Amino acid sequence: MKLIEGVMYQTNAPKGIDPDEIFFVQVDATKCEACGSCEEVCASGAIQAINDEGTRQVVDPAACMNCGQCLVSCPYGAIYEGVSYVDEIFEKLKDPDTVVVSMPAPAVRYGLGECFGAATGTYVGGQMHAALRKLGFDYIWDNEFTADVTIMEEGTELIQRVQEQGKKDARPLPQFTSCCPGWVKFAETFYPDLLPNLSSCKSPIGMLGPLSKTYGAHETKTEPKKVYTVSIMPCIAKKYEGLRPELADSGFRDIDATINTRELAYMIKTAGINFNSLPSQQPDPILGDSTGAATIFGNSGGVMEAALRLAYEVLSGKKLANPDIKVVRTHEGINTADVKVPNFGTVKVAVASGLANAAKLCDEVRAGKSPYHFIEIMTCPGGCVNGGGQPLDPDVRASLFKSTVAQINRRFRARKVSA
Amino acid sequence: MKMNRRVFIKACGVMAGYAVLGANLTKEAVASTMDFVGLRQTSVYTADAKIYKVRKSQDNPMIKKIYDHEHGFLHEGPCGHMSHHLLHTHYNDRSARLAALKNKGFKFNL
Ligand code: SF4
Ligand code: SF4
Repeated sequence: MKLIEGVMYQTNAPKGIDPDEIFFVQVDATKCEACGSCEEVCASGAIQAINDEGTRQVVDPAACMNCGQCLVSCPYGAIYEGVSYVDEIFEKLKDPDTVVVSMPAPAVRYGLGECFGAATGTYVGGQMHAALRKLGFDYIWDNEFTADVTIMEEGTELIQRVQEQGKKDARPLPQFTSCCPGWVKFAETFYPDLLPNLSSCKSPIGMLGPLSKTYGAHETKTEPKKVYTVSIMPCIAKKYEGLRPELADSGFRDIDATINTRELAYMIKTAGINFNSLPSQQPDPILGDSTGAATIFGNSGGVMEAALRLAYEVLSGKKLANPDIKVVRTHEGINTADVKVPNFGTVKVAVASGLANAAKLCDEVRAGKSPYHFIEIMTCPGGCVNGGGQPLDPDVRASLFKSTVAQINRRFRARKVSA
Repeated sequence: MKMNRRVFIKACGVMAGYAVLGANLTKEAVASTMDFVGLRQTSVYTADAKIYKVRKSQDNPMIKKIYDHEHGFLHEGPCGHMSHHLLHTHYNDRSARLAALKNKGFKFNL
């Protein structure tokens, strides 16, 4: 076990193992204080009391979506991660025969700075690229580029589905987004009948892996078999996604390793890099350049807004003068909107933040009562910026415990007075 | 029972969770976490508006290059043959294992 930014990690870097057999998140029974916070935030109910003392455990990997919301909400630091590739990545970075590619997700650059003392949410995209170069990554490619590719693919798929309606073998509407690995596993486990509604698009990282080993390798004249792809995510469920057996379309494993924001901070600190003094740097071209539409993937409602910036222009044939489509921006809960598109009509959309809200929209689709064309779902409330792999909220551990004691004391006094 | 530190904290924990305060405490903690999440969200929208020069995916020059009709790696366009091979996937019904757990007596939320 290794302590990384306040969370314990098993240094287990699985290869060729069925990810359904792995606990990506588990409770250390010796540290659990049976407070129940984890159970409250878990939509599936995978984490439950296993004895009369109330000690919690993730009872089976099949019921766990690997989102890590329990981990970031545990006030006692009792939940650890089961998989970490940091040791392996350090070795690959040293190996002259391996071409190591960085693939950071949008939300990483809004959390990483916090590990180096920056205010919550500070954007550190440029310093992140510089740090990856300093760590020795050979290509500073960026998952934001494939967020843009995702919009092209998923937006086109949506337009096709809309046009297909009424024809034989039409794919069903609404179309659900497929970028969030917690949500995808949730659909596979609890709503398998709705799988035809999921976009067939891989997530951005599912696209950047194979593009790195085909297009990227070709453009940089690199032997594909030497390429080692490192997915850097605000997320724990992405470790599960990276191990999916079907993600091997490049002829190799598409994604070789997955780490999260906390682990990247740990690597930067371990390498002795002074993050705060780094200059802002650009990613490498080909698979690096990105847009505002890509960066908002980190927020709930972001994929929706980015897709609408494309759909509006394709469907109407007009330029979208102001790209802000604020009605779909979602902080919590379920958000719905009617988006009027000239020369087309109304696009009806819904955004669900958190799997308990997702279940409500899924039940509606299952009952055949969903009026929407397109539904975005994010497992973590607020979106990837609140992912299970992001730096911890310092207040969860500090003030929750203090306020617990304070509230218990208050109750105790109140009872004494009335008695 | 000797009230050492660990037992004391544990007692607080148990009471906080259910016996004394019900689920309210968790709800409060979640609400304060959402303030924290809001700061990160705001920063994302600020970067979209102020830092990123190009704001629509279809306007990204590297997107134009990869989808270029003549020389692009994905020259057939989005959802073309190469896209389907590399960028699209299929999903697996994973409900059987959950059903087996339920048959063993495990309870889940759904
Ligand atoms: S939140 Fe942490 S301490 Fe509380 S029950 Fe869950 S694992 Fe135990
Ligand atoms: S990782 Fe997510 S799904 Fe798994 S037990 Fe924790 S909160 Fe529940």
